[in-house]
This record gives sequence, structure tokens and C-alpha cells, in this order.
Amino acid sequence: MSNQEFALLAHLMRRAGFGATRDELEACAAQGYTATVDELLNPGDPEVMPDDIIRRYHVDQSELRQLDGAGANWLYRMITTKCPLEEKIALFWHSLFATGYSKLNQARALLNQIDMFRNHGLGRFDNLLVELSKDPAMLLWLDNTDNHKGAINENYGRELLELFSMGIGNYTEDDIKECSRAFTGWTLGNAEYMAVRAGKDSIWPYSRIAWHFQFRDWDHDEGEKTFLGETGNFNGEDIIEIIARQQATARFVCTRLFQFFAADKVDSEDEQVVEDMMKSYFDSGYEIRAVLRTLFLSDYFRSEKARYARVKGPVELLVGAIRQAGSYRSPTLGVHQLAYQGFYMGQGLLQPPSVEGWHEGMEWIDSGSLVERVNFVAQELSSLDKPGVRAIIDRLAAENDGVLTPEQLVDNCLDLLGPVAVEDNTRAALVDFAAAGGGALNLSGHQAGDAAEQRVSNVLRIIASTREYQLA
Amino acid sequence: MSTQGVMQGVSMAYLKTIGIVNNGDNGRGFANPYDVVVSNDGRIFVLNRCDPARATAIRIGICNLEEEYLGEFGNGFGTGDGQFGLPVAMAFDSREQLYVTDEYLHRISIFDSSGTFLGKWGAIGSGDGELDGPAGIAIDADDNVYIADQNNSRIQKFTANGEYVTQWGGKGSGPGQFDMPWGLCAADGHVYVADWRNDRIQKFTGDGTFVTSFGSPGDGNGQFSRPSSVAVDADGNIYVADWGNERVQVLGPDGSFQQLLRGQATLSKWALDFLEVNPDEKETRAMSDLTPTLPPHIESPYLISSQCEPYFWGPVSVAVDGDNRLYVAETNRHRLQIYQRS
Repeated sequence: MSNQEFALLAHLMRRAGFGATRDELEACAAQGYTATVDELLNPGDPEVMPDDIIRRYHVDQSELRQLDGAGANWLYRMITTKCPLEEKIALFWHSLFATGYSKLNQARALLNQIDMFRNHGLGRFDNLLVELSKDPAMLLWLDNTDNHKGAINENYGRELLELFSMGIGNYTEDDIKECSRAFTGWTLGNAEYMAVRAGKDSIWPYSRIAWHFQFRDWDHDEGEKTFLGETGNFNGEDIIEIIARQQATARFVCTRLFQFFAADKVDSEDEQVVEDMMKSYFDSGYEIRAVLRTLFLSDYFRSEKARYARVKGPVELLVGAIRQAGSYRSPTLGVHQLAYQGFYMGQGLLQPPSVEGWHEGMEWIDSGSLVERVNFVAQELSSLDKPGVRAIIDRLAAENDGVLTPEQLVDNCLDLLGPVAVEDNTRAALVDFAAAGGGALNLSGHQAGDAAEQRVSNVLRIIASTREYQLA
Repeated sequence: MSTQGVMQGVSMAYLKTIGIVNNGDNGRGFANPYDVVVSNDGRIFVLNRCDPARATAIRIGICNLEEEYLGEFGNGFGTGDGQFGLPVAMAFDSREQLYVTDEYLHRISIFDSSGTFLGKWGAIGSGDGELDGPAGIAIDADDNVYIADQNNSRIQKFTANGEYVTQWGGKGSGPGQFDMPWGLCAADGHVYVADWRNDRIQKFTGDGTFVTSFGSPGDGNGQFSRPSSVAVDADGNIYVADWGNERVQVLGPDGSFQQLLRGQATLSKWALDFLEVNPDEKETRAMSDLTPTLPPHIESPYLISSQCEPYFWGPVSVAVDGDNRLYVAETNRHRLQIYQRS
């Protein structure tokens, strides 16, 4: 396996997952690029940290009353899964169909929504929209619980068209009204009590009561509706069937997938890739899995142009570093702090800033968030007690009997942390830094935490601080 | 799964519910109760495990059957005397000194029944007398202390002063082996172990000789999913917190299935007080169905319990008192459901 092929696989794993350790990359390499893509797209047993173990140790993650415990619960899954695209696509839909704790005061409903994304996120887009429209968190978030026969609330209908499927300019105000009529009666069980509790953030008397979908036929508008030029006695499913076959929907969904998985910006050259993804959308019957397969196998995605064309989102960065370091593989006291860490970097799980989700790309970076990003990753990847860091040291020690020039030390560390491709001047600065530690490094006979290992730790810390490590 | 099982011999009738989510970190109410024990004078001691993010709520609360809140002790999260990391279980000795296990600090803390800290012992390790994640605890009539040494997959026996006596077990699923053992009960000269990840209850003599085993993985009568606690009444009837199935099972002295309890909580006095001053919640609650018909994808006992407030949710611990009352502590609902044997 050439370095270029490793670099391509590392690129794929950064985009379709959260990066990969060298052991994981070698397993991918053994089966080849296309087989790896297909394995990612067809998740099997994720072998995540068992739920019973988590719930026994973390009572807050059993009850899931609060935001931090719920965020940590999802992070455990991202950190330990063997099917990273399942979590990545859930993260994508979480940003696109942004639903937040601030209004709901119900972390469990949000995690249930994430589970729905996990289960349906790679399947048919129309099915996903039906599930979204029945999702209890969404029903309350966008006020469909207040959408009644004869007294519609347009909030969900409007965002379904504007933010979730077609994009502004592809429908009329009348379409919004007719769409909303079709979703009347789609509400929560015990909606009135649940709305009062959510509004007051009440946990009494006996903690939160989880939510479920309920269709109230007596509150559903059975009348004739005209939507996007078609007329009929439409219900919510009918509306979604019409939405899913629109060109505007295909373009909207494929463009957003491209921006999340390929590049922050779509230029004219990339338009053809989006067109190919749209063709897959229709040919497959709206299958997101097929659309992503087209993207991942495209010449564009495999090209140098696509590398490092995205800023890692905070959660991608955080989870990627933890997976590389091999920490949090078993229940860990204080894991809820990881959820806060995402907030400090600008992406609090289950708490997007608004229904528009997070503004991504370069907007992830400001002076405050960058410091948080660099500090966290540098700390995680330089901790000599972390299993992933120890694995890197073991590999270095096996190289050339453990004797490495500063150039070899830097190049090997860059390789084992990615490979991470850095610019020449960055590499030169890294080599100068490594050399300042005292010439060649000798890891033969190294002991945990000794001076030789400390030099490796320092180099890993500096690499984690590079611009390139912040990019996907 | 039925909500209440068929009764054969022993019969348990629902009595009442005590509890509410604590309001603030201290005072009346519970914070993720993890264990319950009853003193000879009828005081109910509830171990509030909570979590380190809400550090001061980690404590032991005391109430009685009349739902009077009598006080609390324990100095919250920390390593100092009287503080806890991740407390798991409690047991009284013959002098009514209360022993509390801590699976994070790998130690046992001892208090008198008014909450005064008396001492502590235990250290992490896998050698004789060392502990790794001590979970369940039981004390027999001679004040021998048995501890479920969770991550060492063994039961260790100590004197009341913490001197090592013996041990038995080992990792595995064979007779006498364990997989993350949790709750313990010492009764009639035997030690019962909730062998958590083996989905069974094992019974031993006081020196560790294997006697028998009850249960297998599943959700049928007499089957278990991650049993977390076991209690035995004066007549030898066995009560099991079938944690993963969100229910309690009652077994006869020979382990035969007797009754299934799924929970049927009503409003405690504290809950009624809350609703009296929150009429909007009282009014909308009254028009709600709190055991609704659920969509088919909500099928696991855990998810069903998250939706149905009267059902057990996180029934982590069972205890019986001298009057044949059964106390079930629910971690996720911050309450006790109490049953009376008829």
C-alpha cells in the first residue's frame, strides 16, 4: 500500500467518519477503497460501548434528564462505534434539521431523534422526512403541536420547505399554508401536559416523561388541498411524496451533503459532482446511501483538490482526537465535561443555535474557539498514558531500532496522526522544534513517561496545533 | 410483556409511593436513588447516587413510611471522610452502623444511624482484601461483611473492621463464577448474589460454597435481564430487582416464580404538595393518560418505562422490612414504590 493510497483512505475516513488510527487504516487498506466505502455505507454491528454498562455507571445517562449527560451519551457512541458513518450522517441531519434543547427541555427526545437519524439517515429521503414530521422533538420545536384544523400554525410547514427540503424560492406562501393543513393533527401523546412541562422546564414529580407521536384524526384537516400545483385530499405523507420528487429538493439535499462530506464551498467545477449525486438520488428512489456512494467514488472526491477542503467541525475534531488517543473506551467519570467542551468550541450537541443549525466552514474558527480547539487536541494527543499515544510510540520504537532523526520523527508522527500533509515551511518548523530536543531520538529501552517519550509527546502536541490538523 | 404477573404463592399488594425529584441539591426529595435500607425503628435510608456534576446532591436521605423527611447526611462528592465518589449500596450491621460502598473510591464508609461518620476502609487492587469497584454489600447476623467486588468478579468476606476473611468467584458464567456482580443479600446463613451480566441469582453458603442458581437471560417469568439487587424475607421468599426488564420478580424460597411487579406508582405526599401549587400541571396531568398505547418502535422495557410514569424505571434496589413490606428504589424516577405482602 503506497503512501498516496493511505492518504486517500485517511481522507475518506476523516469525511465519512472521525478519522482513523493506523491500525484501522491498515484494515481499510487490506480490503481496498471501494469495499471500505461500501462497508461505511452499509453499517453492521457498531459494537459501541454497551448501553447497560453506561447506564449502570452513569445514572445521569440512564435518566437522560439533562443536556450534558445526553451529549456525553452520544459522544460515547461516536467515540466507540465501528460504523462511524452512522454517527456522521446523524450529525449531518442534526445540523440540517436542527432541533435544540433550549425550547424543549427534554434531552431524551433529542437523543431519540438522533437515533431516528441513525436508523433512517442513509435510507430514502422521503421516509426520513415522514419520520422527521412525526418526531416528537420536532413537533414541539416547530410548534406543530399548535397546528390545528381550522387554526393552522405554519412554522413546521414553512421550515419543512425552506430549511429541510427545497430551499426558498421554490414554493409560494399558499404552498406553505396548504402544507401546514396537511400536518394538522400530528402531535404528541398527552400534548397539553407535555407542553406545560416543557414550557416550565418541570421535572416534577417524578422526572421527565418521554414523548411519543400521536395522530389526532379529529384535529386533522381532511379537506382538499393544492400544493405545488397538484390538488387532492393530501395528508402529510402525500405532501412529502410530492416534495421528494422535486428537482429543487434533489439539488438542495445533494448540495448540503456535498458541503458536509466534500468541501465547504461548491464551485463551478464541483457542480458536475452535485449533478451526478442528483441523478443517483432519482435513480435510486431518493436513497441517501446511493447519493453518498456517488460522491465518495467520484474522481473529484478522490482528487487532491478535495483534501483539507473543509474545516473540521468541533465535534468532528473532538471525537477524532479522542478516537486517535484511544481514551473514553470505558465509562469515565467526568465524561459530561466533553459535552461542555463542544460548547466551548462552538458546537454544543443537541443545542444548535437556531433552526438554521450551525454556520459551518470558516465560521467554526474565531480566536476563542481556535484556542479551545488547539488546546484540547494538543492535550489529548500528547498524553503519554493514552492507549492510542502509546500505540504511536510503540510503532516509532519499532522503526529503525527506535533511533530517529528529527526529520524521521516529524515525518513518522505526521504519518501516524493521519497521514497529515503539511506545507513545507510548516514541516521545516516542526523539524526545527524536534531537533531542539537534542538531535536524534533514541527510543530503544524507553520507559513510560521518560525523556525520550516526552520528546515524542511534544512533537505530537505541536502537530496537533497545526493548521492542517484543524482541517478535514 | 404483561404489566402484573400471575400470582401463585406469595402475594404482594401495592401500598404507596414515597418520593419526588429533589428540588435543589438538598432537602426533601431524592436524587437518583441507588439503594434503600430500613432501620429497626422504621426509618428509611435512601442512597442518592446522583452524579458528580451535581456534587452536593450525593448523600443519604432519611424518611419514614408516613413520608416525613427526617434529614440527610454525607458530604457530597469528594475523597474526604464522609464524602462519596460513586456510592452504590448500603447495609446495616447488628449495631445499626451503616456501611456504604463506593465503586469509584474503592472503599467502604461507615456511619452511625444518625449520620455521624465513623470510619472507612478499602483500597484498590486485586489482592486479598483489595477492591476494584465494590458494588453490593451485605452483613450477616454475625456481622460478617460481604462485598461484591465488581471488577475482580468475586465476592469477598470481611470482618466488621474490614479484615479480610475469604473470597470466592472468578470471571465467567459457570457455577460460582461472576460477571460484574452487583447486589448482595445475606439471609438464613446464605449469601445471594445478583450476578448482573450473567442474568441470574446465585446462592452460596456463608463461606462461599455454591448452592444453586436461579434464572437465565430473557424476559419470561423467572428469567432476568441484568438483575441488580436481591432481598430475602423472613420466610425465605426472594425478591429480585430485574433491572434490565424494568420490573421486580418475586420467587419462592426454592427460586420458583411467584409474581411479577411492573410498578404502579401513585402520587406521594410530596408530589401532591407540588401539584397543589402548580395548578396548570395538575390540570393538564389530570386529562393525560400516563400509561398510553405507544407506537410499535417503542418496545424495550427501558423505553416503555421512560414513557409510562407509574411503571418502574430503573428499579435498582429491593429491600424488605420486618413487617413484610417490599421497598423498590427507582433511579430514574427518584422515588420508592412500596408493596405489602399479604
